[in-house]
Amino acid sequence: MRGLFRIVEGPIDVGAVIRAAQRPDCGAISSFVGTTRVDRSGDAFVRYLEYEAYRPMADRKLEEIGEEIRERWDVRHVSIVHRIGRVDPGEPSVAIAVASPRREQAFQASRYAIERIKQIVPIWKREVWSDGYVWVGSQVGTRPAVRTG
Amino acid sequence: MQKVRVLLFGAAADKAGTRELELPAGEGATTLGELWASLSRRHPGLSSMRGSLAFAVNGEYASDEDPVRPGDEVAVLPPVSGG
Repeated sequence: MRGLFRIVEGPIDVGAVIRAAQRPDCGAISSFVGTTRVDRSGDAFVRYLEYEAYRPMADRKLEEIGEEIRERWDVRHVSIVHRIGRVDPGEPSVAIAVASPRREQAFQASRYAIERIKQIVPIWKREVWSDGYVWVGSQVGTRPAVRTG
Repeated sequence: MQKVRVLLFGAAADKAGTRELELPAGEGATTLGELWASLSRRHPGLSSMRGSLAFAVNGEYASDEDPVRPGDEVAVLPPVSGG
């Protein structure tokens, strides 16, 4: 199986991630792209997200997810690219592409990849709002709504 | 005396007020649980996060009873939130 597992500090070229998964022995590529969403709460809104990673552990965990996928499904290519640093609204923070001979395996494996990222990869997301910030998952930050938490 | 290097991430770095510190290590191995006790004494702000934290020793997830030796790198990991 081929694979590409990478943490990057600049924009993700989603097209390149998907193109890298094209193979003559596969009839399906399933991709997932996570992007920055502007949540709103009263007058406040999310300005951007900022990600940090514990490296090289995070790099290794991405590769482990690739291994787990290979053990579970007949996939021939897995790419996972995660961006760290500031990610503005609408921009991709993570891109996943899985190629398999048939679509069902690709669908399942790409979904598995994003769910596992959220379980085991040491990467953290800080929502920077117009009125402060909050660490997602910890509810720690400077926003008025979480300051007591 | 040799030390253990402690890295803190995300909300844990906020609560401790630092991203990196060193703790003195005993002569032999101590446990991660004992290291946590020492860490939370020095940075009481971390204590309220205890239930949500995970730890890594030298880049791999570890639990309270796992050994920590002089020269090891311990990471304090709040709930991950990638994606």
